Amino acid sequence: MKNLLIIILVVFTNTLYSQCVFNETSTLTPPPVYEPGDIVQVSYTLPTFIGININWIHAIQINLGAGWINLTPGAPPNNTIGSAGNWLWDNQHTYPVSNLDFGPGWRFVNITTPEWGTFFNGPFNITFTVEVAETCTPDDLSISISIFDDCETGGWTGGGGGCCNDPSFQIYNGVVQLPPIITSSIYHY
Amino acid sequence: MKKVSLLLLVLLGLQTQAQITTNADTVCANAIGEQYFVTNTPGSTYQWNVGGASGAVLQSNGTNTTTIDWGGISGLYLDAITVTETSAEGCPGEPVTLDVFILSPTANNIGPFCPGNPLTALTGNPVGGTWSGTGVTGNNFNPNIGQGNYILTYDIGGCTTTINVIVNNGPITGPIQHF
Repeated sequence: MKNLLIIILVVFTNTLYSQCVFNETSTLTPPPVYEPGDIVQVSYTLPTFIGININWIHAIQINLGAGWINLTPGAPPNNTIGSAGNWLWDNQHTYPVSNLDFGPGWRFVNITTPEWGTFFNGPFNITFTVEVAETCTPDDLSISISIFDDCETGGWTGGGGGCCNDPSFQIYNGVVQLPPIITSSIYHY
Repeated sequence: MKKVSLLLLVLLGLQTQAQITTNADTVCANAIGEQYFVTNTPGSTYQWNVGGASGAVLQSNGTNTTTIDWGGISGLYLDAITVTETSAEGCPGEPVTLDVFILSPTANNIGPFCPGNPLTALTGNPVGGTWSGTGVTGNNFNPNIGQGNYILTYDIGGCTTTINVIVNNGPITGPIQHF
């Protein structure tokens, strides 16, 4: 019985501390579904980033399906009591140590140690708008957010793997809704 | 009230003019300017095609209506008319087709007749049509109508053909005389 309790505790502990992001939320305005030409405002909130093994949040990437165009960012995330530096919007950036291909999204530029993120632990909120491209096929309209910490970007080697593979947060997983084209029968005058 | 009545009359007139076409549609051989349409969707364009029916010519394209001149070879032509709608956004819909039966009626010649000949059946092909003309009674011709050259018409589905029927004079025989 004691052995079983130990196993349960170990599993529970690993589950609890296997990632640095929790309780993410999002909103879509207007709500799904979407047709070509629709413009959607997306809001994403990460209430707390728990930096296991002193991992710091380094970048917030927006992952969009092929059916979206015209990604327009809103205000940058907060860094109220974080490291010296700022959040920078970037469409693409390759982190030199890890060769991690980032973008589009916000990445933190630490002016003291560029390879590190910020020790601010939230909340982080980003908003952006996207538009459904004109199409005749049910293109992918998925939206997800990936959080990268400085263990993943390669600047912090003491992370110990705790946050090096945070799962992406799925905001939406639909496809373009195409108005049906219904042609009547052929009539003869 | 008068305006409402007038509107109803106009709408009723339009409704009776546009016939709902069963598949297959029937047209007469060598028909000219036959008009077809689908219900219009604002902003859409329409690509019409006519195929299979020998001699058929498409006279117009792009809108929800088209005009077709048909050939002269009778028979059933599957998917003779095809229309594909493209939405205002440039997306094509599923093609819609219509089979067409080109009708070219024929009729058997009869005669010539002499007075007193019995009623003679009139035969048209395909069957099911109606005969008209002088001396016609149902699907028979009565030679006792008198001497003459008569044009009889066979009509099926609005497609017609004609035959000429000759009724000759009988001989006029004088009284029997004794030498």
